[in-house]
Amino acid sequence: MSFINEINKILGQNIREWGMYIALLVIMAFFTITTKGIFLSSRNIGNLINQTGYIAVLAVGMTLVIIISHIDLSVGYLSGFLGAVAATAMEFWHLPLYVSIPLVLAVGILAGMFTGFLVGQMKIPAFVATLAGWLGYRGALQLVTMAKGTIVITNDTFNAIGNGYIPDIPGIGILPGVHKITLILGVLVILFFIINAINKRRKMRSYNIKQSSMYLFIIKLLFMSILIGGITWVLAGYRGLSWTAVVVLIVVLVYHFIMTRTVLGRHIYAVGGNPEAAELSGISVKKITYVVFASMGMLAALSGILFASRFKSATTTAGTLFELDAIAAAFVGGVSPSGGIGKVTGSIVGAFVMMSLTSGMNLMGIDISFQYIVRALVLVAAVVFDVATRKRRKS
Amino acid sequence: MTETIPVVEMRNIKKHFGGVQALRGVDLVLHHNEVLGLVGDNAAGKSTLMKILSGAYIPDEGEILIEGKKAHIVNSWDARQQGIEMVYQDLALADNLDVVANVFMGREAVSVNLGPIGIMDEHHMEQETKRLLDRLKIDISSVRLSVENLSGGQRQAVAIARATAFNTKVTIMDEPTAALSVAAIKKVLDLVRELKSQGSSIIIISHRLEDIYQVSDRMMVLRHGRKVCDTPVTGDIDTFREHVVAYIIGARDDFAEGGSKKSNDKLKQG
Repeated sequence: MSFINEINKILGQNIREWGMYIALLVIMAFFTITTKGIFLSSRNIGNLINQTGYIAVLAVGMTLVIIISHIDLSVGYLSGFLGAVAATAMEFWHLPLYVSIPLVLAVGILAGMFTGFLVGQMKIPAFVATLAGWLGYRGALQLVTMAKGTIVITNDTFNAIGNGYIPDIPGIGILPGVHKITLILGVLVILFFIINAINKRRKMRSYNIKQSSMYLFIIKLLFMSILIGGITWVLAGYRGLSWTAVVVLIVVLVYHFIMTRTVLGRHIYAVGGNPEAAELSGISVKKITYVVFASMGMLAALSGILFASRFKSATTTAGTLFELDAIAAAFVGGVSPSGGIGKVTGSIVGAFVMMSLTSGMNLMGIDISFQYIVRALVLVAAVVFDVATRKRRKS
Repeated sequence: MTETIPVVEMRNIKKHFGGVQALRGVDLVLHHNEVLGLVGDNAAGKSTLMKILSGAYIPDEGEILIEGKKAHIVNSWDARQQGIEMVYQDLALADNLDVVANVFMGREAVSVNLGPIGIMDEHHMEQETKRLLDRLKIDISSVRLSVENLSGGQRQAVAIARATAFNTKVTIMDEPTAALSVAAIKKVLDLVRELKSQGSSIIIISHRLEDIYQVSDRMMVLRHGRKVCDTPVTGDIDTFREHVVAYIIGARDDFAEGGSKKSNDKLKQG
């Protein structure tokens, strides 16, 4: 039957992207069944999103870094260090929140530009340059937190970023216990998604690129609507959308826009695809390297703020191994290890896949050693899948 | 020498890399709407000469005139501003991007200008790309196909189209037919003829003498960093080949001994 054939063909072409969403669904379904529904409870999903937040923003920055064929190992401890700087600024220097956060973000950009200088200007391999950063920022983190070991943060507004939820309209009788603003936002997102998809389809048809049949298009829209709608419903059942989720959403939207619609994004992909060609076309590879690492530094600062805020403190071990989680999230999310290919949205899904695994296995009470092994297998499977599908497409 | 001003004139170009003298004072003239074939053995200096013209290398000595005016070309951006575009042998395209993105790489059209994060005008770029491919009779099913999915000949066509897209005065092609199938070579040569019929001035570097013979008006042979032959392409292919090979291997030399110097002096006086 032609419909089945078409599904096969579509899966064959975009299997990488679809595979990731399907994998996320399968993982979620599996844990929901094995934990008798606890995994999909509003409370757990809310926590899951807050836990993923500080890795997710790093994964967005890491996507850009890997697209231009570099790597950044320093961001974990940079995130921890900058979280500690934020805590110090508020607790010891008594700076207000609206000064502390921009200050920390600015320091993050500077740190990223320094990495950019080493990699882009001095031509030091990113692995080596950022390994030095890994050591250096780890030391800096210990220096800052040395006095007490832990800096407790007392600013409630700051702590709300990692723990608070957006307010709701008070005094509406219908649907008690459900967060209305979250529901409204969810519906808006679904509408936006559908309109966007229809526009894109119309455009692609005018480009003369063969489109899938109407059935399949509707199935795809339904699938995504149910996914977004489901997440919205689950979130609305607890306390609604958290501030962390809002921050992550803004970061993803801004970066997605930059990467798909702006000249800067196009240049980043061009440098990743073929740096010599980009340079010969008048794109400064050096400038792009600076920009990408500076953005990574800024997102590391944001990650540090989210993490410190979530635990209401800065500790000596904050940020440990974040960089590897972010790199894994990017690879699981379809960023090509050889550069040039990857999407910001993919990396976010990758981050949720990895964090769902951790959360689900924790709920099931699986031993931590097995958790690492399972995550390793998922990472390997994702990259093998990536390489295999790409090869098949080329041949 | 001639009454019209040549589009490119390179005079007494010298370049060395460490102890190796790659170019020992080469003169080159390219007239409007002319296809010049540049041949020579490996390390004869062809690519070095063209990289100097396209701004990738800076010469030790010598000068470049574009339409009679002295030009300062120190990087590929300068060359491009002067209307000189080079199609590189294998590093011209980004495989991960589609045809439109490759044609406009580094020159993206913007609809909202916000400096470095200007928003791209995809519609305009796409229409222009379609028009360009139609004009050059290049057959690609969709301009939104990613370049890695194109055949070798199509990729070369995109690279050439890209070089000729933006008010280009001179297009330099470095081995445009290397590593292509026979059918693809024919298409690339057709494209060169099409460009010439539309008024382009082209320099082609090639090892394949039959390609040079088929499309060039004039050809120049380099040997050990010197010009040894500069002559219109005439006669039948066999005599042509014999003739050129004699220059390439050093059996003949039109500018031997003082000859080269004399012509230089003449140029300087003129």
